Amino acid sequence: MTLLLIVLLPLVGALLPAWFIRWGRNQSALAAGVVTGTAFALLLSLSSSVFAGEVPRADWTWMSSIGLSLAFMADGLGYLFAFLILGIGLLVVLYARYYLSEKDPMGRFYAYLLLFMGAMLGVVLADNLIVLLVFWELTSLTSFLLIGYWKHLPEGRQGARMALVVTGGGGLAMLAGFILLGNIAGTYQLSEILQMGEVIQAHDLYAPMLVLVLIGAFTKSAQFPFHFWLPHAMAAPTPVSAYLHSATMVKAGVFLLARLFPALSGTELWFFLVTGAGAATLLFAAYVALTKHDLKGLLAYSTVSHLGMITVLFGIGTAAAAVVGIFHIMNHAAFKASLFMNAGIVDHETGTRDIRRLSGLWAAMPITGVLAIIAAAAMAGVPLFNGFLSKEMFFEQAWALEYQFVEGVPWLLPAIVTLAALFSVAYSIRLVWSVFFGPQAEDLPKPPHDPPFGMLLPVGILAALCIVVGIVPVLVAGPMLAVAATATIGIAPPEYSLTLWHGFNIPLLMTALAFVGGIVAYWKRWAIIGLHEGPLPFPEAKRIFDGTIDRLAAFSHGTTAALENGSLQRYLALLVGAAVVAMGWPFLTGSWSAGPGPGTPLDGMSLVVWAILVGAAVATAALHRRRILALVVVSVVGLMLALAFVHLSAPDLALTQLSVEVVTVVLLLLALHLLPKEGPSEDSIGRKARDVGLAVAAGCAVTAMAWVILTNPVDTISGFHLAESYPGGGGTNVVNVILVDFRGFDTFGEIIVLAIAGLGIYAMIDALGVPDRWKIGSPDDEVRYPLLLTVITRLLLPLALLVSMYLFLRGHNQPGGGFIAGLVTAVALILQYVASGIGWTTDRFVRDYHGAIALGVLAAGATGLGAWLFGYPFLTGWFDYFELPIIGEFELASAVLFDIGVYLTVVAGVLLMLVNMGKIRNASAAAPDAADGEG
Amino acid sequence: MNHWITLPTLIPAFTAVVLLLGARLELATQRSISVLSTLALIGVSFALVWQAASGDYVAYELGNWPAPFGIVLVLDRLSALMVLLTALVGLPALLYAVHGWDTKGKNFHALFQFQLMGLNGAFLTGDIFNLFVFFEILLIASYGLILHGGGERRVRAGMHYVVFNLTGSAFFVVALGVIYGAFGTLNMADLALRVPQADPTQEAILRAGALLLLVVFSVKAALLPLYFWLPRAYGSASAPVAALFAIMTKVGVYSILRVYTLVFPGTVPMLDGLPAKILFPIALVTLAIAMIGVVGARSFRRVVAYLVIASVGTLLAVIALFSQEALAAALYYMVHSTLIVAALFLLTELIAEQRGVRDDVLEPSTPVAQPAVLGSLFFVGAVAVAGMPPLSGFLGKIFMLQSSLGTEQLPWLFAVVLGGGLLGFIAMGRAGSVLFWKTEGETASSPASGAAILPVVLLLLLVGTLSFLAEPISAYTNAAAEQLMEPEPYIRAVLDQGGEAP
Amino acid sequence: MLTFALTFGFTAMGLAMLLNIVRLVKGPDTVDRVTALDTLYINTIAVLMLVGIRIGSDIFFEAALLIAMMGFVGTVALAKHIRRGSIIE
Repeated sequence: MTLLLIVLLPLVGALLPAWFIRWGRNQSALAAGVVTGTAFALLLSLSSSVFAGEVPRADWTWMSSIGLSLAFMADGLGYLFAFLILGIGLLVVLYARYYLSEKDPMGRFYAYLLLFMGAMLGVVLADNLIVLLVFWELTSLTSFLLIGYWKHLPEGRQGARMALVVTGGGGLAMLAGFILLGNIAGTYQLSEILQMGEVIQAHDLYAPMLVLVLIGAFTKSAQFPFHFWLPHAMAAPTPVSAYLHSATMVKAGVFLLARLFPALSGTELWFFLVTGAGAATLLFAAYVALTKHDLKGLLAYSTVSHLGMITVLFGIGTAAAAVVGIFHIMNHAAFKASLFMNAGIVDHETGTRDIRRLSGLWAAMPITGVLAIIAAAAMAGVPLFNGFLSKEMFFEQAWALEYQFVEGVPWLLPAIVTLAALFSVAYSIRLVWSVFFGPQAEDLPKPPHDPPFGMLLPVGILAALCIVVGIVPVLVAGPMLAVAATATIGIAPPEYSLTLWHGFNIPLLMTALAFVGGIVAYWKRWAIIGLHEGPLPFPEAKRIFDGTIDRLAAFSHGTTAALENGSLQRYLALLVGAAVVAMGWPFLTGSWSAGPGPGTPLDGMSLVVWAILVGAAVATAALHRRRILALVVVSVVGLMLALAFVHLSAPDLALTQLSVEVVTVVLLLLALHLLPKEGPSEDSIGRKARDVGLAVAAGCAVTAMAWVILTNPVDTISGFHLAESYPGGGGTNVVNVILVDFRGFDTFGEIIVLAIAGLGIYAMIDALGVPDRWKIGSPDDEVRYPLLLTVITRLLLPLALLVSMYLFLRGHNQPGGGFIAGLVTAVALILQYVASGIGWTTDRFVRDYHGAIALGVLAAGATGLGAWLFGYPFLTGWFDYFELPIIGEFELASAVLFDIGVYLTVVAGVLLMLVNMGKIRNASAAAPDAADGEG
Repeated sequence: MNHWITLPTLIPAFTAVVLLLGARLELATQRSISVLSTLALIGVSFALVWQAASGDYVAYELGNWPAPFGIVLVLDRLSALMVLLTALVGLPALLYAVHGWDTKGKNFHALFQFQLMGLNGAFLTGDIFNLFVFFEILLIASYGLILHGGGERRVRAGMHYVVFNLTGSAFFVVALGVIYGAFGTLNMADLALRVPQADPTQEAILRAGALLLLVVFSVKAALLPLYFWLPRAYGSASAPVAALFAIMTKVGVYSILRVYTLVFPGTVPMLDGLPAKILFPIALVTLAIAMIGVVGARSFRRVVAYLVIASVGTLLAVIALFSQEALAAALYYMVHSTLIVAALFLLTELIAEQRGVRDDVLEPSTPVAQPAVLGSLFFVGAVAVAGMPPLSGFLGKIFMLQSSLGTEQLPWLFAVVLGGGLLGFIAMGRAGSVLFWKTEGETASSPASGAAILPVVLLLLLVGTLSFLAEPISAYTNAAAEQLMEPEPYIRAVLDQGGEAP
Repeated sequence: MLTFALTFGFTAMGLAMLLNIVRLVKGPDTVDRVTALDTLYINTIAVLMLVGIRIGSDIFFEAALLIAMMGFVGTVALAKHIRRGSIIE
């Protein structure tokens, strides 16, 4: 429970400083301090049990299907890291209070900082791989916010994005690696995985898993070749750098190496990858650090280099080496945090971080200078400082290798290590000597002086630690190192001695070489810098990264634009092509055969009709640019189709087809009026060939399917419909009974489609407005409403309505029904609109088509609901036969009510569409070819 | 007789009717009716989920005609989940719309309700032709909604949308013709019985029908090479409409899930697992191309639109594994991606409005008026959509990747999903940096009201709930996947019982 | 006798429809084409009648009636379009 609190406290407590800022900066800082301090106190309360070898745990199942439980444990390793995170965190909170200026939004800073702190605590205390990953990625996210804190600085924004992409991306690789690892081990519980080293290392997937996990660790710990993001993260405020790049974020990577050490280490692959990357980083970064003129840049590369050193140690794979690695993690945290804060003080008080401008600050900032000398001495590995101890032990380990990079060259790694130590000495000297000694700088942006006590105190505490650990290591660091080391390697650590003097041995020789060489290198530093900045081709990582991202963005934009090019024709060709493949490919590859089904005899008349149908269909495509003509031809297609339906004994379909046909013609005429008479010429030969090819292929595929289906009759559910139509549905016209009863729900849906189409077109036309180019005046000549037409159509109206009623009423038993009747009524009314105009017709007939549509849907729906009253499902039909005098037997059926709904919706929906299309041009005029745009 | 299962379609349908009849009512009254109805829908959906969670099926025979002769509505865990998801996305979208969008065109509320009806009907029907009908309803309603607000950009994008989708519908009818012609029934449970018994000579026609349907559903789901209509249509739709449309592609995904586990499952020997074999690579390539689109997009609406496509690619690649684990993971991720995309569409507009003339274009602009609120919401949304912890995007991603363990598709899935994730980091990092950090000049806009921000907060809270309650929710999706992989009880519930299953 | 008459009728009507198509293709004017279409509608009615006689059913007579009506409306709409462009005003 305490453990859970330790992690959650900073995460939840992040709100406090953001809230308290309204009362002032001190209050905000205090809130952050209290949150951190409380968590720290909670951690310390666990000390006795941790040092006694116990492992406090907490567990809460989060998502068992992915093996994720919020499990935490505080073993020695986790405790050590949590101690560093919270301890240094507390110092950073204090330091930042004085570092941040009035302009900086402090509440946000502390909120981000605490979030980050919580994320880091989660990483180091996790007892579950997925939980570790969760917090791991959270550190990437929160560090993104921290690095980009000064959002007005482009370097800050870019550095933040780069850090996010590199470390977040590494996290993705790690995610893959962890899933594999969990699969290999059969659990995500870390404490169990750590027991299974042999099983894991013997597994087939060990190699890919290891590579993926290491990518995660290396990106986080800025190991070559992923190191480049760290120096750019220096655009962050210095407290952030001091925190992220000494004790926390970058240490997460080496933490992971330590955490998984028992499970993954010891193989040759591990050695080559980890020590290899570490050694490369160690040497390369140490060299670059010397050439940096920016204080923080120097420190950044030195951090990278020291992380390389720790990585090398874990890579060696022996228990002894791992102990040294842990020890150096502690030491590095102390002196590097101190140095970063020191650099921040210099920057804060002088206004610059450029080593070339800084000089002789000793006179003005003596306290700062002393503290800098202490920490730098620790970094260089001067005896009596903590860095010396771990470095000596490191040298020792570099000789005791199980594997060799190059067979027969055992001194390769020691040579690299010594060379790196040499650079380390050199840049440490530069850091102190060039800044604090020499002639006093004249042109500093601010007159330098020692900072307020609040900024010095954290630096002082850390510097004091460097000395104390350096002099009496066993007393101060011994117990912590012991429990952490035990937890890391999983067994009691081998003998090691934390003493200053080991006698004259090879490590001492290496130290001596490094110091002598380092002093020489510092002395000759301008030659090295000149070499670095001049003839040596040095890839600038940021440029490469930015270039890659820019090229990626450009490539992505180009690819996307090429694919999604805005051509509907192309999209449709792809769709038809996909459909053709789907339909045709099975016929080319699978087995199929025409069945024994009887063919329909062919007579001359049918031949004529089919020929006209096919010819007209082809002509429609060919003539599509001459729009009116194409419409006339399409009418032929419709008519012939109706004949075909008749021929195949489907009178209902024929009636529907005919009515829909004329409604479509009217609709298209209304639309064509707004369009140019001729379509644009857009077809290249290639595209025509493509389209013809697609059409032919689609035709062949559909033919094949139709052929197979029609010659292989199957037992269908329509047998039931035929049998039940009269006894169950009360009608002899099966088509109608299917529409209003068997599948009344479909019909209910389809009339809603029609209703929506009407509403949608109405809304569209309303939103579209009338473009100016369509308003061209309205010459009022006598042919507007020709008398002959007006008279005839008015006579025709009652007749048409009668036909419509007839079709409606008999629909249940013979061809007809609400849908057809509705279309006929609609057409009859349209005729009035055509002949007598909108004004005349609207005055005399329904005005509120919206209401009529709604009533129609309501009638159909309410009929369906009525069945509920009798305890039947929605749309259950009812009918009965009654005897009336004179009239005789007649039928009452709920289906009629339903059909009335269909009828109403169809009439109103169709009219709403057509009349509104007509209204577009209502205020405008005659010349149809004046319109030039395409809708 | 329990009629609850009909309510998700009937409530919005009758609400729309009332709204049309009451067209002259006060705007406030109309809004209240619409919102109340959607609230009721949420209640009903929860009841249905609760009912389905027990593992029982409900088969509701419309018109009291026995299946397979009439139309049935079928409730299982999947359909209940989809209906709930629709309502949960619908309410925030509507709440956002009543903030002013609904007055920028006619009939918004009626169209919105019809859209909900279409979605719910598609999820609940057990009849494949009825599915087509609901596809039509939601297509035509969505067309009206896309045009809502007017303007040339919308009309052009809307035309592409409707022409393309209508062509897809035409192929749907062809496919239905093939299926009915070959198997003589339209009821999906009945088809599930008849398809495996097909005669060997029917191999080609069986495959043609199955694959053509896959093409049709891919149009709706927006899979390569059939997604090109989407970015422009979603990118130009008004914010509440785009938010609601977050569920639209999922209709395609749902249909694929339903049809290829029930009607054409991998166990049909003659099918030879073709749908899965085709779906997997296509979905992965879709994901890759979509993430490239996300990185290449120059306005944030397009970023989100491509994220929609990416989520479909991810989902279908996982679904193509057709194992219970994979489907469970995909369902969890589907809920996540729907909610988060809806939130982002709404949020984009809030941000774009406050940025002034630059709108959502990813170039430096004047700062937004509420950087803290919008920035935080954006951060949470970006974290969720990029699949960063601790939100459901991350959990879903792990869930999905895990489900591929032991399959030969694993390396491909890992590579593309994680590579796509990296592109997502790049894109979201850049977008956030440009939208909130890289500003110039002073803000010239007024802050959004709480009522406008509330829907975004609601959706993000839902994402949070999905993350926090991952245990029970993933247990539910797992049980839903189990039902999908074991279709026999479904078939029995539809065909054997005269009404409700036990 | 009836068979012969029907065969003759079908042949004549088929020929007439083909001739309609010829006019429809040749034009030269849109008016010619619309007239051809209208005539095609009328010939179709005749064909339907013949079909009805042959199978001895009046089930297609409504279709014929509807063709007559719809053909008229279609022709009126086309004519109005040619004359004035806007058909509903």
